[in-house]
Order: sequence, then structure tokens, then C-alpha cells
Amino acid sequence: MSSELSRGEETSPVQSSDSNDVAAGFSLRNERETITVAVAGNPNSGKSTLINAIAGTRLYVGNWPGVTVEKKSAVFEHEGRKIKLVDLPGTYSLSPYTQEEIIARDYLVREKPDVIINVVDATNIERNLYLTVQLLELGIPLVIALNIYDEAEQKGYKINTMAMEEMLGVKVVPTVATKKSGLNELLKVVTKVVDNPSRYTPKHLNYGEDIESAAVSVQGHIMKQNPSLNNKYPLRWLAFKLMEGDSHVMEEASLKIDDAFVEKATIHLKKAHGDDIESIMADERYALASGLTREVVKRPEVRKMEITEKIDRVVLNRFLGIPVFLAAMWIVFKFTFDLSQPFGDWIDGATAGPISRLAAKAITAVNGPLWVASLTTEGVIAGVGFVLAFVPVIFAMMFFITFLEGSGYMARAAFVMDRAMHSMGLHGKSFIPMLLGFGCNVPGIYATRTLENPRDKALTALLLPLMSCGARLPVYVVFIGAFFSAHAGTVLWSMYVMGIALAVLMGVIFKRTLFRGESPMFIMELPPYRMPSLKSLMIHTWEKGKHFLIKAGTYIFAVSILVWFLLNLPWGVENKKDSYLGKAGQVIAPALAPIGFGNWEAASSLVTGLIAKEIVVGSMAEIYAVQQEDEETTTVSDDLKEIGSSFLTAVRDSFRNVFATLGIASISAEEDEGASGLKTVIQKTFTPLTAYAFMAFVLLYMPCVVVAIAMKHEFGSWKWFGVAFAYQMGLAWVVAMIIYQGGRILGIG
Amino acid sequence: MSPLGLLSKGEKAEVVEIRIQKGYCQGTGKNQACHAEDMGLRTGKVIEMLNNGGGGPILLKVDESRIAISRGMAMKIMVKKTGCRD
Ligand SMILES: Nc1nc2c(ncn2[C@@H]2O[C@H](COP(=O)(O)OP(=O)(O)OP(=O)(O)O)[C@@H](O)[C@H]2O)c(=O)[nH]1
Ligand SMILES: [Mg+2]
Repeated sequence: MSSELSRGEETSPVQSSDSNDVAAGFSLRNERETITVAVAGNPNSGKSTLINAIAGTRLYVGNWPGVTVEKKSAVFEHEGRKIKLVDLPGTYSLSPYTQEEIIARDYLVREKPDVIINVVDATNIERNLYLTVQLLELGIPLVIALNIYDEAEQKGYKINTMAMEEMLGVKVVPTVATKKSGLNELLKVVTKVVDNPSRYTPKHLNYGEDIESAAVSVQGHIMKQNPSLNNKYPLRWLAFKLMEGDSHVMEEASLKIDDAFVEKATIHLKKAHGDDIESIMADERYALASGLTREVVKRPEVRKMEITEKIDRVVLNRFLGIPVFLAAMWIVFKFTFDLSQPFGDWIDGATAGPISRLAAKAITAVNGPLWVASLTTEGVIAGVGFVLAFVPVIFAMMFFITFLEGSGYMARAAFVMDRAMHSMGLHGKSFIPMLLGFGCNVPGIYATRTLENPRDKALTALLLPLMSCGARLPVYVVFIGAFFSAHAGTVLWSMYVMGIALAVLMGVIFKRTLFRGESPMFIMELPPYRMPSLKSLMIHTWEKGKHFLIKAGTYIFAVSILVWFLLNLPWGVENKKDSYLGKAGQVIAPALAPIGFGNWEAASSLVTGLIAKEIVVGSMAEIYAVQQEDEETTTVSDDLKEIGSSFLTAVRDSFRNVFATLGIASISAEEDEGASGLKTVIQKTFTPLTAYAFMAFVLLYMPCVVVAIAMKHEFGSWKWFGVAFAYQMGLAWVVAMIIYQGGRILGIG
Repeated sequence: MSPLGLLSKGEKAEVVEIRIQKGYCQGTGKNQACHAEDMGLRTGKVIEMLNNGGGGPILLKVDESRIAISRGMAMKIMVKKTGCRD
């Protein structure tokens, strides 16, 4: 299984401020190795938020269940000792059925952390304690972080933490991870427990006479048969698992067990309560949890209708649900485009104009050869700069996706789309990875892990590349800017909707061919709506967007240089058409003729886009070698001034656009004065019709290299990537062909 | 006694029987239990229907959480009505 992914470990050492005042007497003990703290709890209870707040990390957080699918750790220093916090995927129980449960359970049992922080959602104590009861069986010292305490207080709950400590025999610390409150106290308690583990071994909760006596005799039997196991596993827990018939554990511990003995030990239990010991145990645990809850929580008599319910009435309404979803998406894309476009133009203008000139001047100043100047300006600056121009739009998109994730709408979209997903033999839960795919397909692929069924997982991953990711935005932006600027938001939105619609279509086809059968039923928790804080929005937007920056600085940079060489080799080639890349483009171009862009320039840039789709526009910029017509000589300070003043214009335009969207101010579709060179060139070589066909082709034509690797990673073979590659190429060609030929018949373009 | 899926919005009911074969929710393995019970949807619990429109999934209030379940599953959970929300 893939629980040891390379991306799994994320560490960020943070020096705690009060690390100096360690009493000398402690120093001996402080020298012991790292303290390992496992953080476990229900999904969406705030585990990752808590770790981020304590250790200063930036683990992935979102307001929907199943954000963390991989265990991750954060190391930091506290009072001179190293503490390693391990973020486990959220689970409702420790049964060995879902991948998350297995990851969490295997970690707890195998790695034996020094202490468990059990994050309990204070607004939903009963269900959370059901897991707590199971965690206590492991015999590992445990501290409860009673998180989301703020919301519990708001609802008027009175929680008697003292009684809770008393009954469970563990420490309970109220926390509000989002506001960093209670965390010092939590750490204090954790270190106290670590220093004195024997004083804080958890109580054995009483499971009732019948279960207890059966467990005692099974324990005795295990000891006799497997003396070597004594310290490897908590004995009581092992006995419980044996009684429940947990084959995973028996194999793992390679237990030597006389089945007849277990049978005999549980015979009384079965007589009294029925055959299904697993259910009997579950009922008992649940009874303990609800009994405890009754004792410690006081709820107000009258319950107010919560805001969440009010919003859900509209958002989940049977007629309004899908229109609301589509409208929300439209607003997102409109804002994304309007907000970021001026900044993108600014970067584009700055790199194509002043920065190129500055670089050229610098190279001539040091007497660099002409080809170096050309490589720098036409290769690196045109290629990378061109992609960088789309950083604003990508970040804007990531911002809105982060907002959707943090608000709680994500799970609602899954609910609303459930029926559409059924038509392709999937259910609503599969829609969450797909929505994440709008940011970047790669995290979407990893998110398929929350789908328990291997069939669902593979089918979802296969359809996911049809979700238009951030890397495809640059292509749309260039073409929309050149041809559809009056309806930018709507055209952009149509690309995303096209992706979803084709995913449904392909899903229906796959359901009849490769993936027969029904998906099992689904169950999913819908979190309360929450307002994400601006700070966390910024952090997680950055975390998502930075990958695009890194890409621009690494392989897009490399590819830009490569493309320049391919365009200039054989050395001294007169016409780019005769360069290696040009020749390759010419070979492919005829295949693209029926779909509207059978020229070598388009073909060559599509080839380079196999690495990453942003590269398509970068390469186009290089191929068309957008010449700056300005011959007038500028001084260095002119260039710098130009960059500055055009930035201010960008800020102004961005604001104006937003207000125009909101209808507060209305500006006429504004002049596009400095329409950058590339836009002008493609206006000559494309028509609106072929431009739209080209955009559709780029949306569909294949998953990028990183997605390919992620698919290999998740599924252990190249098979699904191969399938995705093949069907997407076909689909892209067919769809572009329909758009182009259909449009021609209708007399458009 | 009636299937959960037939409750209308605002109605409350006590879960009487969950007729879901173990393993139905989680796919392949033969010995798989259903998440529903781990999430608090178990016999004896009083739940409230929050949303039951058309053929899509339904939304329940179980304890303090909102739980969406697919219609097919809702039809296999038997409940006894206990009244409406006032
Ligand atoms: N009001 C409030 N919200 C919180 C608190 N702690 C976390 N949250 C919010 O709860 C949501 C879930 O937080 P996460 O940290 O992603 O939860 P998790 O337990 O890691 O979830 P999984 O990874 O899915 O298991 C986020 O929207 C947080 O902002 C808290 O103390 N108070
Ligand atoms: Mg998490």
C-alpha cells in the first residue's frame, strides 16, 4: 500500500519561544529521543488545523471530511525537546475497512507513539467518543483535545470536562485550533503524560461481564500460545480483535491461535447476545460513548435553526441545487478572470517589453554573443515570462477553490451532483476529487483515496483529467483575450462545463464497457458552513499556487530553452519552419487540419505541451517570436518606470472589473491598448471558431506528465494512464472536429 | 415501520432496523461493515429528515451531524415515526 509516499513527510522545524527556561534537573530526561505524538480523531475535527497551529506547518486543511489521506508529520521543538506530531487521516472507527482506517490503525499499533492526542469535535461528542473508546483499547496514553470548543459554546453546550476526565481516566483540554487557544495547555499536558506514562495509562472501560470474561480467557490463551507477542501488541486489544474475528490483525501478528479455544471462550457471549460479536462489541462501545455523553454534556432545551440548515434549504433544494452550483461556478470563473487579467497583462507587458529590453541591454553591455541574447529574450523570457503572466489567474483560481473548500460547499456539490454521477455508475463522493481537479489534477488523483471501492477509484481518476486544471488556464486566457474578450467569463466557464459534461458522457461509456456494475451506496457527512479566515485562505492559496511557480522555474524553464534550440537547429536555420520543431510540427499538422488548426505552429506548440499544458502558450510565444515593434531606444530608467506605472494601471483595472461584475460601476468593454504581440499574431492565424476548437483540444488532449506519475503512484501501474492517454487523444480530436466542422456548417467563423 | 427514504422533510423517526448487508457500503472485501453505524446511524437512534427531494440522496440529522446517504441505502433502513419538528 502507498502509505509511505515520498510526499508524505513534511517537516518544518519551529523553535518554540520559551525553549530557554528549561530547569537543569530536567535536562537528563530531555535528552531522550524525539517524543512521538499521534494525532487521531474523526474526519473534519480539526486535526490538521491543530498541528498547523502548534508546529507552524502548512498541512492541507479544508472543511470537508477526508482532507488528509496520508499520514504526515511535523517536527518542532518545545522546551528543548523535539516533538513529532503525526497527522493521521480522520476516521470514524478503527475497523479495518477503509484505507484511511487502516493507515491510522497500522500507525498506532505498529509505531507505538508515546502518546495520542485524540482530537474530539466538541459539537458532536457522542460520535467522537465512539472512536475515543476504541483508541483507549490500544493502551497508549491519550490526551483529549476538545476542539471546536468555540462552536460548542455558541450552541450553548455545557461540557463538564472534569467529569469527562474522571470517567475516561484521561486528560481533557478544551481547544480552539483556529484561534490557537488552549494549545499551550495541551502541550503542557502532553509532556506531563510523556514524562509519566505509567501514571497516565488509560483506564480499562468496562464492557460488561460477558465481554470482559471472554476477553480475559482469550488473553490468557494468547499469552500461553504466543509468549513472544507479549510486548508487541496491547493484549486486551488483541483479545478483542480475535473475538471480533479481525483477520487483518491475526495475519499481521502471525498469531498462533486455536480457533476452537476462541470459540469456546465466546460461547457464553454468543448465547446471551447473538452470533455477531463484532456488532455486540460495537454496540457496547457505542453504549459507553453515549452514556458518557449524557453525563457530561448539557444541551439547551430549545434548539435554534442553524444558519447551516437555512443555507442548505436553498443550496440542496431539489430544483435549485444544480443551478446554484453552476451559478457559483460562473461567478468563480468570472471573478477569476476579471481580477487577474489586468495583472497578467502587466506581467506579460513587462516581460515582453521592458524586461526583454533590459536583458538585451545587459547582455550587449557585457559583449555577450548575439545568440545568447536571442536565447535569453526569445527563449527564456518569452517562454517562462509568458507562463509567469498567468500566475495571477492561477492564483485567483486557487483562491476561489480554497474558499470553496473552506466554506463547506465542497461536500454539498457532491450531494447535488450525486444523480448526475449515478448515470456513470459513480456516486456523489467521486465529485469531490473532480472538483479539486479544477485546481490541479494531481491532488484530485490522490483524493480518490477517499473512495473505498477500487472500481470507483479507477473510474474517477480516469475522468479526472477532463476537469480543467489551472495549467490549462493560460491557453484559455490568451485565446479568450484575443477573440472573446467581451464574454470572457462565460467562455471560460463554458470550458469547465464542457469538461464536466464530457466526463459524464465518458463515464456513461466506461460504465458500459470497462467498468460494468454499480457503485455501492454512499454515505458522507456534510460539515457545517464556516467562514474561512483570510489568513488561512492566503496560506492555502499559496500552497496550491506555488507548485505552478516552481514548475515555471524548473521544467518550464528547461523546456523553454529546449524549444528555443529546437527552433534554431540545425544551426543558423533561416526559417523556423525548417527547424527541427518546425519539421515535427509539419508532420503532425495534416492530422489537425480537419479540426481547424492544421498549421505547423499550432502542432509544434501542442507537442511541447505534452510536458505541461502551460507550455503550449509559452512555445507559441517563442514560435511566433513576438517581435517588439518598438524601435525607439529607451533608457533603463524608462523601462523601470514603465513596469511601475503599468502595475498601478493593473491594480486600478482589477478593481474596476470587480465592481463592474458586481454591477456597482459599469465600464464599457475597455480598449485593449497594449494587446500583447502574441494575441495579435493569433488573431491573424486563428478565427474565433478555430480558437474555440483549439481551446477544447487543449482541455482534452491528454493528462500532463505529473498526472501520469500520480496515476502510476496511486494504482501501481501505468495501465490507467495508458487508458486515459488513449481515450483523451481520441476525444480531443473528435470534439474539436465537431466544433470546427459543425461551426463551419452553421456558417460561423 | 417504513423505510427511511419515505420520510418527508422535518419528520423525525427512530431507527428500527438496518437491513444493509455488511459490506454493502465499502465495496469489495466480503467481511466489510457499513460505515453508517460508525457515523452514529444505528438502531434505536432518533433521526430527523432534513432533505428528501426527488430521486437524489437524502440528508439526515443524526445527533449533531448532517449525514447524506444515497437513496438506495435509505430504502434499506427501517424506521418508526416519532413526530415532527415543532
Ligand atoms: N470553529 C472552529 N473551526 C475549526 C476549529 N478547528 C478546525 N476548524 C475548522 O474545521 C475544518 C476542518 O479542519 P481540518 O484541520 O482540515 O480537519 P481534519 O481533522 O484534519 O480533517 P481530515 O483531514 O478530513 O480528517 C476547517 O474548516 C477548520 O477551519 C476550531 O477549533 N473551531
Ligand atoms: Mg486533516
